Amino acid sequence: MLSESARMASAHEARFRVAYPNSVPRSIKVVALDEPSRRLVDEVSRLPWNKASFFTSMSFEGATPRADDSSIKAWLSDIAGHTKDLIAEIDEANFVVMVASAGEDAQGASVIGEACLARNVTTIGLVVQSPETSEADLSRTLSHMRPFAKMLVIASGQDYVEVMLTALRA
Amino acid sequence: MLRKEQNDLLTQTGPETAMGKLFRSYWMPALLAEELPSNDCPPVRVKLLSERLLAVRDSDGRYGLIDEFCAHRGVSLWFGRNEQCGIRCPYHGWKYDVTGQCVDVPSEPEESGYAKKIKLKSYPLIKIGDVLWTYMGPADNEPPHPEWEFALVPPEQTFTSKRLQESNWLQAMEGGIDSSHVSFLHSGSLNTDPLFKGSKGNQYNLNDKKPVFEVVEQPGGLYIGARRNAEEGKYYWRITPWVMPSFTLVPPRGDHPIHGHFWIPIDDENCWAWSFDYHPVRALTGDERQAMIDGKGIHVRYVPGTYRPLANKDNDYLMDRDAQRAGTTYSGVEGIAMQDASLQESMGPICDRTKENLVSTDNGIIMARHRLMKAARALAEKGVTPPGVDPEHQRVRSAAVVLPPDQPYKEAAKEALRVRPGVAQASV
Repeated sequence: MLSESARMASAHEARFRVAYPNSVPRSIKVVALDEPSRRLVDEVSRLPWNKASFFTSMSFEGATPRADDSSIKAWLSDIAGHTKDLIAEIDEANFVVMVASAGEDAQGASVIGEACLARNVTTIGLVVQSPETSEADLSRTLSHMRPFAKMLVIASGQDYVEVMLTALRA
Repeated sequence: MLRKEQNDLLTQTGPETAMGKLFRSYWMPALLAEELPSNDCPPVRVKLLSERLLAVRDSDGRYGLIDEFCAHRGVSLWFGRNEQCGIRCPYHGWKYDVTGQCVDVPSEPEESGYAKKIKLKSYPLIKIGDVLWTYMGPADNEPPHPEWEFALVPPEQTFTSKRLQESNWLQAMEGGIDSSHVSFLHSGSLNTDPLFKGSKGNQYNLNDKKPVFEVVEQPGGLYIGARRNAEEGKYYWRITPWVMPSFTLVPPRGDHPIHGHFWIPIDDENCWAWSFDYHPVRALTGDERQAMIDGKGIHVRYVPGTYRPLANKDNDYLMDRDAQRAGTTYSGVEGIAMQDASLQESMGPICDRTKENLVSTDNGIIMARHRLMKAARALAEKGVTPPGVDPEHQRVRSAAVVLPPDQPYKEAAKEALRVRPGVAQASV
């Protein structure tokens, strides 16, 4: 006679798994940290998503505030260019994806990352590199991202942003 | 999460499937050399990538992997007589050499040349290290022979085993690149298993149970780095290479041998989990080798006479709820290999990834699937040779290293992550 495990692991039994939606979409905030990433995020934002919203950090457009600076309340802009309240966006996020291009200045990661840390919101860092990226360029970007990203991905293709967000049901 | 068609693409490896063609681009482990121990030894039935085959070693020591069934009436040649440089079907005496060429049809006059018109499908089978490797792709596209370090070091420095896993290959392989499960499922083994315990690296593991992960693409596949805090602001990195389609190396601990795996599809609902241990610069000790034979580390004990694990789904994996409660083992199943296999088999023969909910730490898995699908499509549509075929991609090592905080580990540990003959592994 088959054991319980043997019977339950069969293809026959797989047909009886309960069919229902076992999760609801998570709120995912995707933030571009530099100009090349902004173009990439802009493109990805045009695809249909469940509950993902897309922003650009204002760090590369102006001064970098400190995490306790009141100006961080208006420190994101959405794809249409409207200023958004960073804290409010993070407060409603399940996790935040920060997108940077290797070699670009990813200083915005510290403000966003610290705000996420303070609110215990998971951050994923995604660094897109090209074959021309030097080690020094990558190091500079990593040094901004590492302290704040729970998971860091260094991808060689721009398509990974869409792939990852799809896999995460964004 | 994958869409159904993506899951089908990745999990189906039979002839004419996209992933089947991808696997057929590589030299793959087919049998342990011990399975064909001598000339004219009994043949072995082998199923790989959903094809029923027969492995033979002839009177001259030549190996071959041929269609299992006689071209005459479809009898399994496993019943055949392995004699005088060929396997002879016991039904009507048809005889085949290791290339599958029929060399004798006793009922027909030799002068008729009929035997020459009969040829079974066959694949090359070569011995490198303890393993017999096969290449199941187009003959005119055969890649260079494999150059995995574990198979090239002297025999006294390496040990290889295989075990049947009763699930699709992908869910088994994904366990090998899912570093975040180690802190839970295998937490009982770090300080007790003779092939793991006693390294300084284990203390970093135990002192920092929330590692940060970094996934980096490399030419042959990926590096998956797990980062923990070390002294003086530095980071302790455990770096796992994944080489396409299904090779991984576990980062070393102290002077213990390096562990690694291949996952090779038998059919879409079963695979071979190959496990090896090797040390780049010294012989395995008697105790280490005995521990491997005894099923410690990443190896298993078997149902006698088979490569099926002794703890398997038919006996509920010898589940021990007392050990689970006491924390001796986290899941109640003993042994690292069966802790993984029991859970992966419980997913069902082919995991339904349309229902899964991945999280940030699953990026190694997400990236690996992406690379596999991309390579399978590039091969199918443009004939692009996939990553991992080039022996240069195979000359990798895992590493456990302490690095300054701002350095990309792929560059900073560049030397540690490649094979350096005569140089020990980078380990803590």
